[in-house]
Amino acid sequence: MGQIVDAYCTPGTERETPLPPDDLLRMMDEAGIERAVIAPEDREMAVDNASGNARMIELADRSAGRFIPACTVNPWRGQDARRIVHDALAGGAKMLVLSPMLQGFLPTDELTDPLLELAGELRLPVYFHTGPHATGAPTQVVLLASRFPDTRFILGHCGSTDYADDMPAILQASPPNVWFELSLVRPFAMSTYDGMVDEARLIFGTSAPRNVPAVEVEHFNRHWPIADHPGTYGQNITALLAEVRS
Amino acid sequence: MIVDCHTHWGDCYQQQDGSDPTRWLEMLDRYGVTHGLVMPHIGLAHAGRIPLDNNQVAAACARSNGRMIPCCTVHPHDRDEALAELNRCLTELGYRAIKFHPWLQGFSINTAVMDEICQIAAEHDAPIIFHDGTPPYSLPSQMALLARRHPHTQIVLGHFGLFEHWREAMAAMAYADNVWGCLCSPYPAAMRQLVRRCDPSRLVWGTDTGFSFADMMGYRLRLMDMLDLTDDDRHAIFEANPVRLLGLKPDDTRED
Repeated sequence: MGQIVDAYCTPGTERETPLPPDDLLRMMDEAGIERAVIAPEDREMAVDNASGNARMIELADRSAGRFIPACTVNPWRGQDARRIVHDALAGGAKMLVLSPMLQGFLPTDELTDPLLELAGELRLPVYFHTGPHATGAPTQVVLLASRFPDTRFILGHCGSTDYADDMPAILQASPPNVWFELSLVRPFAMSTYDGMVDEARLIFGTSAPRNVPAVEVEHFNRHWPIADHPGTYGQNITALLAEVRS
Repeated sequence: MIVDCHTHWGDCYQQQDGSDPTRWLEMLDRYGVTHGLVMPHIGLAHAGRIPLDNNQVAAACARSNGRMIPCCTVHPHDRDEALAELNRCLTELGYRAIKFHPWLQGFSINTAVMDEICQIAAEHDAPIIFHDGTPPYSLPSQMALLARRHPHTQIVLGHFGLFEHWREAMAAMAYADNVWGCLCSPYPAAMRQLVRRCDPSRLVWGTDTGFSFADMMGYRLRLMDMLDLTDDDRHAIFEANPVRLLGLKPDDTRED
């Protein structure tokens, strides 16, 4: 089995995502996952951005390289958002996560423009949670990506579940600065992706602890074998994150 | 006995097998699932094909030795046509439940026609199972209001709120005692909360099997293993609750 990188985990502390770092490491070991991108939990996405980013950086610093920190900032913070992102990058953050539903904005809203320009300058991939209905349609992110060709976007969850019917068209129409992250996509739906998009743009993720990594790896491997798709399972996200400038 | 309360006699199976459920049942056999509540597929997307699809589902279920429990659909846009088809299904074709996919079918559920349908469903002890978790027509809260108006009709949230509306689904179950939740789609962390916080006597399990040829059952059974269910929970969710919900009788529960 090649080196697996999980592109999205939430080592949370409350509600449905409590996950102490040692438990996450144990889950990764059980699943054969070498490294994982860790992102702030829901409250930290919505309001406690800076402290959430600092928590991710601290967890990563203590993980012997197994955790890769992501950061977030609510676009409604305006000018202050730039400082929060710069602080996170200085600490080692490698991905910016935006959650339109939790943070209360539409992806196509001009509110995000300054952040997306900054992310482009810094080569910082922007992970958009998609799936929530009014504020997370994959098509909204595609329009945004077309407007910001120098910014790299990760389409988190590929619109699971109810935008799945849009995905074939999206896979074919998306500009080259969009990658597709597969957590919450059903393993048995992977046939949809076969041959529809350059495989260099597919990224495996689990959304642990919402999902159980060992089960996701086991079932994805049945439908999208790890041995045949090393890019999906680690190389693609690794290459994306390697370009980030602090 | 394991009852899957969310399956379809999909268009793909109709095209491949006509009304022969042998290969469809092989999927259940692979995982030890004994029974399935079988809903239409093409009729949910194409109102003009509802009677034909209802006929096809009934025909397939009739050849299943009681393992496939038929669940019909109608389209409430045309009241007279909907009620006539519903009566045909419940009285002539042996249907035991009714399915609606208001998002796909494109109608609002809090209407006078749906009130009439709920009354008929109650008279036949036929539960109504909804696709849920998708605005603007398929929210658990919308179904909760319908359920409160019709306390003798059992209303099943077919996806328990999906990924974003599972907390709303919990609120819906708390609001109306006749709302049930089908563990078919929320991620495991949400399902753990649902099992812990909802009335255990109104929980069932489902897979969406048959919507396509994809093997959905193995994955969704595996997710249930992740919930650390007690033996009592498992018995309730996989057997006792669906038996009560669907009014299964001994003849229906034989596994040979």
